[in-house]
Amino acid sequence: MLSEERRTEQVSLGSRASARLAGSDIRDEFGLETLDMNMGPQHPAMHGLLRLILELDGETVVRCDPVMGYLHRSKEKISENRMYPAVVPITDRIDYMNNIAMEYGYCLAVEKLLDVEITPRADAIRALMNEFGRIMSHIPSVGFLMLELGAFTPILYAFRERERIQSIFEAVTGARMMFHYIRIGGVKADLPEGMPEKMWEYIEGLESRFDNDFVDLIEGNEIFRARTRGVGKMTPEKALEMGLTGVPLRCTGVPFDVRKHYPYGWYKNLDFDVVTDAAGDVEGSYRCRIGEVRQSIRMIKQILENLPEGEVMADMGRRLRPREGDGIGRVESARGEYAVHVVSDGSDTPYRVHYRTPCTVNMQLLQEIVPGHYLPDIMPIMGLIDPVSGAWDK
Amino acid sequence: MPQLGQGILKGMGITFKHIFDKKITRAYPEYKRDLPERSRGMLTVDMDRCIACLQCMRICPDHCISIEQTKRDADGSGKPKPYAIGFVIDDSRCMYCSLCVEVCPVNCIYHTEEFEAQAYNRLELARQFGERPVDPTIDPKPAVKKKKPAGKAAAGQGAEGKAAPKKAPRKAPNKEDAA
Amino acid sequence: MSLDILNQEPIRFLLSFGVVLFLVLNLAAIFTMAERKVSAYIHLRFGPNRVGPRGLLQPAADVFKLFTKENLAPSRADIWVFLAAPIAMFLPAALVWLVVPFAPNAVIADLNVAIVFFIAMTSIGALGLIMAGYGSRSSFSLLGALRGAAQMISYEVPLILSLLGVIMLSGSLSLVDVVNAQAGGFWHWYFLPQLPMFVVFYIAGLAEARRVPFDLPEGESEIVGGFMVEYSGMTWALIQAAEFASMGLISAITVTLFFGGWQPPFEFLDLGNFNWFWFGLKTSILVFTFQWVRWSLPRLRMDQLMDLGWKILVPASLIWLFVTAGAMLLLPSVF
Repeated sequence: MLSEERRTEQVSLGSRASARLAGSDIRDEFGLETLDMNMGPQHPAMHGLLRLILELDGETVVRCDPVMGYLHRSKEKISENRMYPAVVPITDRIDYMNNIAMEYGYCLAVEKLLDVEITPRADAIRALMNEFGRIMSHIPSVGFLMLELGAFTPILYAFRERERIQSIFEAVTGARMMFHYIRIGGVKADLPEGMPEKMWEYIEGLESRFDNDFVDLIEGNEIFRARTRGVGKMTPEKALEMGLTGVPLRCTGVPFDVRKHYPYGWYKNLDFDVVTDAAGDVEGSYRCRIGEVRQSIRMIKQILENLPEGEVMADMGRRLRPREGDGIGRVESARGEYAVHVVSDGSDTPYRVHYRTPCTVNMQLLQEIVPGHYLPDIMPIMGLIDPVSGAWDK
Repeated sequence: MPQLGQGILKGMGITFKHIFDKKITRAYPEYKRDLPERSRGMLTVDMDRCIACLQCMRICPDHCISIEQTKRDADGSGKPKPYAIGFVIDDSRCMYCSLCVEVCPVNCIYHTEEFEAQAYNRLELARQFGERPVDPTIDPKPAVKKKKPAGKAAAGQGAEGKAAPKKAPRKAPNKEDAA
Repeated sequence: MSLDILNQEPIRFLLSFGVVLFLVLNLAAIFTMAERKVSAYIHLRFGPNRVGPRGLLQPAADVFKLFTKENLAPSRADIWVFLAAPIAMFLPAALVWLVVPFAPNAVIADLNVAIVFFIAMTSIGALGLIMAGYGSRSSFSLLGALRGAAQMISYEVPLILSLLGVIMLSGSLSLVDVVNAQAGGFWHWYFLPQLPMFVVFYIAGLAEARRVPFDLPEGESEIVGGFMVEYSGMTWALIQAAEFASMGLISAITVTLFFGGWQPPFEFLDLGNFNWFWFGLKTSILVFTFQWVRWSLPRLRMDQLMDLGWKILVPASLIWLFVTAGAMLLLPSVF
């Protein structure tokens, strides 16, 4: 029975995992059998629906095979059958922790095809909401990292902040999570009356709470340091070779940020630093995220200080029918470089849409980096990559 | 090792202080917060104003709106106009994207503040607005994809492109009649 | 046993005995409730507040729910070992309560080797853990059980070593004698001369009770409950009861050994036979610190746990044992 299961798995998984699963009694040099363990897809601490097939020697991981695809919803194919504006709410569902960047990337790609001019106010509001989205994603990421290390409290403080930002988003966009706010040609609507003041007030409050709840509580903790320092260590060369982007790349010391190197929208006018950390381990990624939240706060303050006046939506006409050709929009989402490639054949619907999500690429790191670590270290490494199930499976 | 335990004690001090902080939970069924003006709740239709233009049905990414269209002389002008005899919004599919609200030329479909949708059966979530119920399980035909050969002239583009989506929804009610 | 007490003050003894029995039997429920409330208040939540006034009947509702649930066992499990494991975990933790002195005349069994009994019984707790992990036939359970066995056996050593100082000072293995030796104000309690030993005992006690940061056998984030991953219904409830009973037990023993048991902090606060109030107060405070630590700290890793146990706690307790012995030899007048 069991061997039959294994054979089925062997067929479905391809060569990597099968080498282990086909032979039922592989022994190590001491003649001791290793232990197979199946983590996920229904695992309470796993990020979304990820299945890891592990081979354990005691508590040490000998081999780790991530199996993706348990949340595949064929977003790319669905996008081919929707009219251009109707794809935007679908992109919302890709990375459900940082939706606003997903909309932004798609709209940038289609705008390249349409050659529309975005008004300065719309651009500024886009950048403003995008940075709120980044805070909203990074703070829970830190909380999840702590949850995976066994501390339950920071995640609730993190979700307190996330809920408050969601309330801001609800007042601006109308929804708490699936915003559908950034539209092709601008944004859905201008900020409501008195909203910039409310945002300013919230940001000030966040600054005062941030150090207490997310830095003092976590950073100095000896157990946190022991659990994260040197765990998931990688070199900048390795990170570049793996094609990592976002925090996993920047925590090794490579200062790559799409906002800085390929500026889009309002980011040209903003003054911010690319946060890097030399450590290249889980602790470094934690410091990187904390630093990026601080940079986001700084950017939001800059935008709110001189928010341009004017319209927020370009004149688009009733139906969108872009020229034939292709457009690429790349943005820096909270998890790395997110790029959308839209191919148009001149009709109502896109001919092909491809989402390059950072999670899919960053996840490849797992099978390279996990072997050799202890079993409890897998979860902090997941916290370093911080993937989102909807984004890697699309 | 000189500072061993300091970070732990500092963190514990922070958690201890939080014990006396104000609670942020809201006891939901007793306490309902005010929804902001733009909040997007469940959809509703003002059938008196609907002109059965089918634009909402066409734009809907989830095909959650199905409309059965007939011709009827509703306002007594002697000239039969399109009339939505059946109108269903399937809330089990709706994703509250607000595209139908924006596209409606007479503002007859709009969001309410209601958001508590629950039922024992998926079909109960399909809310009928018209005189005649429409089967929500049948997909209205999605917008037809018109692929044009690369070399086609620009003149043909407009005429054909406009014709295509108009045809599509008209087919849908016929199908449903047959079903 | 304590027949003479029964002759002297039968009503008071029965009253305190009844309260004690009630407390021990309902310890799990009370501690669950306390745990949920403490965690909720740290998290800025309300915690359970629906069942009964201010949610106080929540434990009763929980027990009722667990009674009505089906006991599931994996099809390939070793069913007898699987079912015996929760009992093997609960009994040792419950039995040690027999020797804990609650009040001046309220100790159910005044053993003259009570401390040895306590050590023996906590060692048996590891057996139930291994039974649960082996009986479930699951790789998660097996890993949890192996971790639990290694942890409990390793931390037994600093636990015993840190007790030796108290035994040397009081000169007795009976818990009643230990408490009596600490009479007369809080400056006579053993936590002052034995402060390093108290810290070692507290940390080792956390590990023995399998509380965060030493809850590796459960390891929620990697092995999802570890040895109890396959349990459900009342068998699971029994394991939980054992966990909470051993947490209360470690607190009670710590209070007895280092904080003077039922002795009041000042002599004028002596409540006579109602001194169990002081015992309960001190135990509750310690239980609160257990919960406070749990909701503040992350979990250690297995190798770091072993490092802490063998490289820090054992040498530290040995050094302080030496210091205590030296002081008693050189300054016999003080002790």
